[in-house]
Amino acid sequence: MRIDTEAFFVALADELNAHPEQFKVHGEADMVAALVMRKADGDFAVRVAFEGIRVEAVSEIVPADVVGADYYLDGPLPAWQAMFDDILANGAASGRLTINSLALLGTEIRLRGDDPMGVDKFSRFNQTLQEYLDGAARVAVAAG
Amino acid sequence: MTLTQDPTQTDRGNGDGRYDNLPTVSPLGNPLDWKWLRGAKSEWGVRPKIGPRGLTMLDIATGTYGDVPDNPTHRSMAPRGADIDPDTPDMGYILNKKSDVWAENVVELYEEAVARQWSATRDIPWGELRELPSDIEHAMCQVCTTLTEVEMIAADLPAKWMWRMNHDFLEAKMFLCTQIMDEARHAEVFRKRALANGGGLLMSRGQSEGLLRTIIEAKSYTQATALMHLLGEGFILDIFRMGELISPSPVEKRMFRMAMQDEARHVAYGTMHIRYAVEQDPDVAEEIHEALDHGEAVLTAFGTNQDFGTALAVLLGGGVEHVETKGFELQADMQRKQFASYLARCERAGISRLHRTKLPLELLGLDPNTILAN
Repeated sequence: MRIDTEAFFVALADELNAHPEQFKVHGEADMVAALVMRKADGDFAVRVAFEGIRVEAVSEIVPADVVGADYYLDGPLPAWQAMFDDILANGAASGRLTINSLALLGTEIRLRGDDPMGVDKFSRFNQTLQEYLDGAARVAVAAG
Repeated sequence: MTLTQDPTQTDRGNGDGRYDNLPTVSPLGNPLDWKWLRGAKSEWGVRPKIGPRGLTMLDIATGTYGDVPDNPTHRSMAPRGADIDPDTPDMGYILNKKSDVWAENVVELYEEAVARQWSATRDIPWGELRELPSDIEHAMCQVCTTLTEVEMIAADLPAKWMWRMNHDFLEAKMFLCTQIMDEARHAEVFRKRALANGGGLLMSRGQSEGLLRTIIEAKSYTQATALMHLLGEGFILDIFRMGELISPSPVEKRMFRMAMQDEARHVAYGTMHIRYAVEQDPDVAEEIHEALDHGEAVLTAFGTNQDFGTALAVLLGGGVEHVETKGFELQADMQRKQFASYLARCERAGISRLHRTKLPLELLGLDPNTILAN
């Protein structure tokens, strides 16, 4: 499954929603995150809405619509691919390839948003987001 | 749902005169008026809708119970919305305006805090600690020493002010209680880490205490929260975000990630409290600016704390041998991000510091005109 598809992020949501025990330890989270993957043949963007201990909605959006999210994470597709490859290889993000470290370093994937309070939700619910992304290790992912 | 107007009215939807002939004197001879049963002047018949996650404070903020007065008329601990005797004692509250303590997100943050509690004993994989090179273990222990020292200010500070807050602002006080618990856990987790892997507590010097003293001695709660939530905790939040970069093992990574989530809640409260306070009374802005003028200067002194600063740089560089080539450079990058995120929060809080800040922007090559663009 390509990572630059809505189906991939829906699969991550299904994985998470099917295993609430993975999520519950982090507590409830209410946030709307967007991810943007920049690529030569047209950028891909997806909005993921977290509510309680579930992902309630996943939808592909045009990149310009990311402003409706609490925050968005923006980077080139190869950087995202490297992150998911690391998750697959290690079962969860490792080293400096966690979403927090990637966004903090900001060399490739950048944390952005118009509202600092929305951007702070990235920190407030960081482990929930990481758990969601780590679900990639448990769903079939085929690079590129 | 009804609001009983007449205290002598016997029917609150469940009386029908059944309570007319109740005893008028207790077995010990005290007079009884049965007012709670016959018609207290409070809203009755409240039926909040229970949501998928249970019954939250937001759910029960319904009808008059959801109304938080701008200027409460009494000074007692009587619960907001109850039929309160006019002769309830004055508890000595001095924060009696909603804008003194409130934030629009405080109820949401309280529920979030309750839902996202964790245990420093159980939720950190302490068993995965391994022996580290001496310089790395020393550096981690120094960072944890300083963090243990500074974290409890965010418990002491609300504790200093909470008993002075009017009880009608219950939700704000409840949120601050969660913050106190969070900070106790942070002090716990960093102290545990310092002592868990063959190291120990290291240096404590004056710069840290100077910052803490500035915060605890703030003249007003709003000044205190600007210094603590916006400035102090904002900077610590960014250090926790950095935690993964300085963590030699999954133990520290987990520790910093969990603490980061808590800290972000505190910053969210402080930012929105200041915004609310300034919106309600623009004159408060100058009071906050004055506090931050001083606080930023003290924070800069704290930032030059050689123990904490060099320990961070050693961890960022991956050892003393890389501290000059890599550690200090990465640390400067992190400081730029700290400054930018702090100044962005100030904007959000309604107190622009871009051209007033005492932080050494120039020293780090930052331009106040463009710092927020990235």
